[in-house]
Amino acid sequence: MQTSQPHGQNYSAAGNFSPDAVAASMQRGDGGFGRDQETYFDHPILRKAHWGSDIIYYFFAGGIAAASAALASLAKRGGDPDDAELVRNGRYTALAGALVSSVFLIKDLGRPERFLNMLRIVKLKSPMSVGVYALVTFSTNAGFAALDQARADGLIPFNPFGWLAKPVRALTGLPSTALMSSYTGVLLSATAIPVWYTGRRHIPAIFACSAASTGAALQSLLLALFGGSPRTEKKLATIELFASLAEGALLLDWEQRAGDAASPVFTGKRGARLKTYTLGLGIALPALLNLSSVLSRKTPKKHHRLRTILTSSLALFGGYVLRETVVLAGRDSADDPRAYLRHPE
Amino acid sequence: MERVADGVVTESAMGFFTDVTLCIGCKACEVACKQWNQLPSDGYALTGNSYDNTSRLSSTTWRHVAFVEQMDREVPAASRWMMMSDVCKHCTNAGCLEACPTGAIVRNEFDDVYVQPDVCNGCGYCVPSCPFGVVAVQPKSGVAQKCTLCYDRQKDGMEPACAKSCPTDSILFGRVDELRVKAEARVANLRAQGKEVRLYGVDGEETRDVGPLNAFFLIPDRPEVFNLPPKPVLPSRFQPAAYTAGLLAAAALTALGARVFRRAGGAA
Repeated sequence: MQTSQPHGQNYSAAGNFSPDAVAASMQRGDGGFGRDQETYFDHPILRKAHWGSDIIYYFFAGGIAAASAALASLAKRGGDPDDAELVRNGRYTALAGALVSSVFLIKDLGRPERFLNMLRIVKLKSPMSVGVYALVTFSTNAGFAALDQARADGLIPFNPFGWLAKPVRALTGLPSTALMSSYTGVLLSATAIPVWYTGRRHIPAIFACSAASTGAALQSLLLALFGGSPRTEKKLATIELFASLAEGALLLDWEQRAGDAASPVFTGKRGARLKTYTLGLGIALPALLNLSSVLSRKTPKKHHRLRTILTSSLALFGGYVLRETVVLAGRDSADDPRAYLRHPE
Repeated sequence: MERVADGVVTESAMGFFTDVTLCIGCKACEVACKQWNQLPSDGYALTGNSYDNTSRLSSTTWRHVAFVEQMDREVPAASRWMMMSDVCKHCTNAGCLEACPTGAIVRNEFDDVYVQPDVCNGCGYCVPSCPFGVVAVQPKSGVAQKCTLCYDRQKDGMEPACAKSCPTDSILFGRVDELRVKAEARVANLRAQGKEVRLYGVDGEETRDVGPLNAFFLIPDRPEVFNLPPKPVLPSRFQPAAYTAGLLAAAALTALGARVFRRAGGAA
């Protein structure tokens, strides 16, 4: 939670008239507010969400969890015995990610003890309600998969929910995972904040691609650290490459199309950070380093452990910076009344 | 007059008509609201802009008087000093109500948008979903708070504290249909005097998304001069495009993953 907001001090725009504007108003003698007044002292019209680091961690961990579950499940379906480590790691990290992200979501509430109030109604019109049900369903499925894995690993003698898991996962696995990876983008897009709603055709897709690239990066990292087949490593690198390239292309397309409306994301310090850590070090550099091995037709024999650790860490940090930038850009956008007046949609 | 709000036909929508041309900027409404609703002080910060040191509506300020100073040195008679008592608009299609995942925000029997403080869990999603920047999460109580249109007083047949305290009847409370009749008469009267005035929140461009406002205004200038958005957006309108983009991307990524794992699996 943000601490209290004292009046008159909480807007970057208040009292922030440019020296030129002040000089011009002295000239006119109208105190700055003649008939051509454009805003009310540049006070914000909209109000920014209190969302900060907890929600950024939630978006980040939730995306990784969704992609880890999807990778484990696809690898399991593919049936290549080489991918067994990925299946195991993916299932456990999906559950861990679901639990961690739930903790951050609950911690961010003004009244965390009332989290369960989210489940007293189902409201398809509210992306927050849809998202909470996606999270609960996804976490349940991740728990089922982890129990399956624990039984296969001999950690537990039998899976008490085995009979329930199969139909539930078959029905809800795919939709809950798909929503988990992208609904956070819908959550931001379906607000009155100009930078978010003008980005509604991009943000959810960018978040889904980032979930895939960071999820694949984390799984690569785990294989590099704890051992796994070089062939699995190559498959993950392929997925990470295409997902991150799509993410980068969507980011650039968003910047092109939204123009001035997306300036809180792409300009200033925040934009420089996004371009350095997400587009540059998080997408372009790992793509360059992984390109040759992904395109090579030969079956990989050797594990490029150090390279994987480097590229995966960069991709993960880039994904974090992406969530941070998009969430925090909403604050600037909400504080700028002219953005809302310029982009009424 | 029958109105349809969120699918419910109501005959007795209650609301405010706030007439900027009558406001003298005494802030009695701000004080009465604070007193009746037992809202804490916001401190003594000065904006340095005008007599408006409240700046805007907040979780603990449910009426806010804006002071608009338009000075003209060349034609002093053209100078204007306008005050507007801002408040939650109680929209027909309320962004906050649609966004609320707990059902804490409801439409009450007076057709007003009410946050149930014992249900809200402070997720804060209503805050960026309000196209007028009204509702806010109060850090101490941890829940979203805004004007209740004095739900408690209305239940006892009393008018809201702000309207009761307004010395010039700039704030009128009553049935929205009756208030509209009064407002139209006032507009006609002022226009006959050669004044340029308009109603905000009855049938203008501002009602495109959010519908008619239960708390509407008579303003003598463009809406943005009073920090009112000329075209407030209803966030739920953006959901179809957003869900489509997100789920298409998720589907494409799933297909990519399936292909990568199947191809290699088949070769094994």
